[in-house]
Amino acid sequence: MIPIMQTTEKASERLIRKNKKLSLKNPERNGKVIVYSAAFVTILATLAVTIFLTQQGLQSFYMSGINPLEFLTSTNWNPSGSNPSYGALAFIFGSLSVTVLSALIVAPFGIGAAIFMTEIAPSWGKKILQPVIEILVGIPSVVYGYLGLTVLVPFIRDHIGGSGYSLMAGVIVVSLMILPTVTTLSADAFNRLPNGLRSSSLALGATRWQTVRRVLLPTAMPGLLTAIILGMARAIGEALAIQMVIGNTTILPSSLLDPAATMTTIITLNMGHTTFNSAENNVLWTLGLLLLILSYGLVMLVRFLAARRKF
Amino acid sequence: MVTVTLPEIRKAQPLPETKETALDIQELDIYYGDYHALQNVNLPIKKNAINALIGPSGCGKSTILRSINRMNDDVPGFRAEGTIQYDDVNLLHEEIDTVALRKEIGMVFQNPNPFPKSIAKNIMQPLKEHGLYSKQNLSKKVEENLKQVGLWEEVWDRLHMSAYSLSGGQKQRLCIARTLSIHPEVILLDEPASALDPIAMAKIEDLLLTLKESYTVLLVTHNLQQAARIADYTAFFYQGELVEYADTKQFFSNPKEKRSADYISGRFG
Repeated sequence: MIPIMQTTEKASERLIRKNKKLSLKNPERNGKVIVYSAAFVTILATLAVTIFLTQQGLQSFYMSGINPLEFLTSTNWNPSGSNPSYGALAFIFGSLSVTVLSALIVAPFGIGAAIFMTEIAPSWGKKILQPVIEILVGIPSVVYGYLGLTVLVPFIRDHIGGSGYSLMAGVIVVSLMILPTVTTLSADAFNRLPNGLRSSSLALGATRWQTVRRVLLPTAMPGLLTAIILGMARAIGEALAIQMVIGNTTILPSSLLDPAATMTTIITLNMGHTTFNSAENNVLWTLGLLLLILSYGLVMLVRFLAARRKF
Repeated sequence: MVTVTLPEIRKAQPLPETKETALDIQELDIYYGDYHALQNVNLPIKKNAINALIGPSGCGKSTILRSINRMNDDVPGFRAEGTIQYDDVNLLHEEIDTVALRKEIGMVFQNPNPFPKSIAKNIMQPLKEHGLYSKQNLSKKVEENLKQVGLWEEVWDRLHMSAYSLSGGQKQRLCIARTLSIHPEVILLDEPASALDPIAMAKIEDLLLTLKESYTVLLVTHNLQQAARIADYTAFFYQGELVEYADTKQFFSNPKEKRSADYISGRFG
């Protein structure tokens, strides 16, 4: 046997921690510095964005004298007129309806596809469906927007009604965009379930569908809700693709076929031609702050559901 | 020289000589792809008795269980030849309705896996799946089945609580109750007590001894003492082959095969 280390030191000299000095040669120390600074930068960036957005966003209320109640409840948006008004309800409504409606459309399709991939045809699903869906996740949003513009908008105009540029077009484009996200995350939720659950249900003489519906679906539910909420978080932040198909009016839509706008589209459309610290610019920051608050809310909801998850 | 110490037999068992056969396994060969997992197994499983399958890991004992209730059907490359005669039908027949089969031949797994629902609903759910809906009957069945496994006294006041709040042994007894609720003829148990502490294990063993009055029990176990304590018949498998099948007392005191003797004295496996 070859001894690894020969030493005549006493155990106390070998084992008691020596005073380690700050030294570039100490790899333990260097590793610590790298990891700690990475964590620090991440936290700092998040904090900085939050603080900056809060400060800018609140300016419209205390510097430009916009009434917060008017901002949240009025649909009268005319920030560049001679008698400016700043009612953002139409965009808040636009954002929320695009998010909620697309989640409602995507939930059954995404979860259904996930069930197919994990429970009905696992080998086929893993070999073909999974890569296809991963490719879909990677398609840039402008491509979805462009497809919506050239295919969906004319289709709605010719076959359903209106100008084609509509809330409905926005909802459909966003649904297509978040479908792969929801499907992948739902499939993960099913794959995480312990195998014994599946077998024990089948061993009790349950059919495959009974097993899915009564055992797997309820058990995976927190994970599935997380998938849908993360899809919603993506939907609420999407700007470009929606902007290309939704029509961008400042009027509250009265039907799915009416054009509308969302908070993100108003920000991207107007940010360029407003001057920094003007009332019109500040109110766009306020919309940004509202978006941040909404996504914080969604993230917190995800955390809450994750804590309830049993597997 | 290792001496064979016979574990104490907790309950005196009558010599089960003339029991009827519940499942007759004849010339069973099982393959996973090219791997010949079980070779020409002939094994009559006796009715209203505890039939123990023992042997080292990978000897094919779990494979037999999972072939009987056809849980192996979905395993890629799985192929079974021969017959498992149950009443007047071969369970390996391709037209067997596995859903109906698993209602008659229930299974309990090594890890207790209750559904993430309340204690009561764990028992109600399979009943509902098999068409029992009346609330009154369902709660009657919950009480009856929990009493059968000795769990009623421990949980009667918290039936609505999650089955996950139970201890490991309680969970396993709940899983057995759930299996009993659909009135199987045969119960397959795949090392049901190996994940449990000795006290919980003793409760499961006592339970199995009462269950054999009305059910046929087929028990896979790693625990030789367990087989010696509660089984009426013991089958010893080694490398996919049924080495010896005998009355438990005889098997442990006077094994006919050298490999059996070596195994129970701890010389391999």
